[in-house]
Amino acid sequence: MAQMWITMGPQHPMTHGLWTLRVKVDGETVVDTEAELGYIHRGVEKICEARDFTQITPYCDRLCYVSAMTWANSYIYAAEDLLEADVPERAEYIRLISAEIQRLASHLMWLGAFGPDIGNLTLMTWCMRDREMFLDLLQELGGSRMHYNYPRIGGVKRDMPIGFADRVVAKTKLFEKRLDEYEMMLDESTIWLVRLQGVGYATAESMVDAGVSGPNVRAAGVNYDVRWAHPYSVYDEIDWEPSVEKPTSVKGADCYDRYRVRMEEMRQSCRMVLDALNKIPGGKNTNYANGDEMIFTKAPTRAPEGATGFSNYECTRGASQFYVQGGGEGRGKNPYRVSIRSPMFLTIPYVAKTMIGYKIADIPAIMGSFDPCIGETDR
Amino acid sequence: MVGSITPEQNATAAEACLAAINGRFGGSGIESSIVNHSNDKKYAFVRIVCPPQHWIALAKWMKYDLGVNYCSMVTGTHFPDGSPERGWEVAYHFLRQPIQNQKPNTCTVHDVEKLSGMDIPMEFEVFMPLPQGDSPTVPSIQSIWVGADWNEKETWDLVGIKFEGHVNMHRVLNPNDSPEGFHPLQKQHKLRYHDHNEMYDDPQGFMRKPADEGRIK
Repeated sequence: MAQMWITMGPQHPMTHGLWTLRVKVDGETVVDTEAELGYIHRGVEKICEARDFTQITPYCDRLCYVSAMTWANSYIYAAEDLLEADVPERAEYIRLISAEIQRLASHLMWLGAFGPDIGNLTLMTWCMRDREMFLDLLQELGGSRMHYNYPRIGGVKRDMPIGFADRVVAKTKLFEKRLDEYEMMLDESTIWLVRLQGVGYATAESMVDAGVSGPNVRAAGVNYDVRWAHPYSVYDEIDWEPSVEKPTSVKGADCYDRYRVRMEEMRQSCRMVLDALNKIPGGKNTNYANGDEMIFTKAPTRAPEGATGFSNYECTRGASQFYVQGGGEGRGKNPYRVSIRSPMFLTIPYVAKTMIGYKIADIPAIMGSFDPCIGETDR
Repeated sequence: MVGSITPEQNATAAEACLAAINGRFGGSGIESSIVNHSNDKKYAFVRIVCPPQHWIALAKWMKYDLGVNYCSMVTGTHFPDGSPERGWEVAYHFLRQPIQNQKPNTCTVHDVEKLSGMDIPMEFEVFMPLPQGDSPTVPSIQSIWVGADWNEKETWDLVGIKFEGHVNMHRVLNPNDSPEGFHPLQKQHKLRYHDHNEMYDDPQGFMRKPADEGRIK
């Protein structure tokens, strides 16, 4: 049969954003693929060069609207490395709690978008319902629903409101029960298993070589996690362990493993949040004033000439990294260069190549299982 | 609880890497040092300054002998006002991750206390200063790390660093029909900062006469 190229995207339910997957097919089998990115390139790195260090945080929020808090944190750690800022421990705990709540919300968004890919529309409504609980919590911290602008260089914008901790505990405990419900619905659904098992294999070594990171690699049976390997924040003080799957094939992790590892990660996030609330210095039901030394330390605003800052941060989709060079305009008030490394930028071309050999109908399952996000890919 | 890599493990591993690099490449113009992050944890990483002509040899050695299996980031920077030897700079960030393929139905959960030698995760930063000029060129490491492929594409696309030997170089973030030689992160492309007055006093811009009209901020 003659082979032909099909263009999926930029507007296509499979793409989860704006990008194009060009697929060469032989009948129904995918024989070659090409990824095309750049549809929503906003030039964030260039914009950052004309902003001072504090003004950059909102742009980092907008790199990915699904996990704004983790992206802002990621930038903040790089800026703190550059400006040599100290952070109070309570602020580190609050950042950890907010990042893990964001991880829950982000994974729920992923699951909710992944369900309809597989034909399970119920999942979307359930996940949106639960995600709203966590967005409400983040809104209490940051003031807005998606783009929080919450972490500051040297601390956080404001302390947890009174009663926040109790609401976190209540919602997290409720969600842990809901996770069991999800698993009852999905793991016993034949359609779910048939669509995911044995599809989209990827081995650990090939993924690492190609620059894939985070849950996608942990699904292939390796417990590498930035929070564990290059600990930042207070992850070394609280009780958790990297979630890891046991892939069933020599060909590595399939879509089902990647689904499982994220479910497990949500459990770990719940565990981390609950444990951090117990250990937070200053107590969980105290509210320190804005700028109090418990939650904020004044940081220098100018970076020394030639200094660089780097952060390696476990974002919800893998390792997000910032590399910031100081000494730009305004005698070092602006960065000279900000470079953003998004985990998905390298993952999407890799995933496009893993589809080769599967059927067209498997493309949404494979793509969705890697949790693509185009906002952070195109930057 | 799995625990995390301790500062002692991290420091030991960094020193071992540094000794290995100096043992292999000492005296060839490749300078390496151990640097600590300046945030809370003060974790150490290895910083290498490498001239372009030694880059391929160093990269292959890093990948196959030092176990550096992850090319995470390639950053180009333009220094039009820099010294003649440093008009451009390429910064590479690498990670060493203890990762291998698994047998079916197994997984590896590393016990931090038992990790040693090449299994301890480590960060590497490689700087490559390039002379002033219109065509900064470095050898491509696309064939050594697959992950470097799209990173190099992006760096060429945005900054204009040429990667010699890179197969299938094309625009990734800019439109495919961008003019040749247009690389927006080069410093001759200025970005104006519209300050508060300019943005809010006259949002529709009918009467706009910013104080610094005609000047680049």
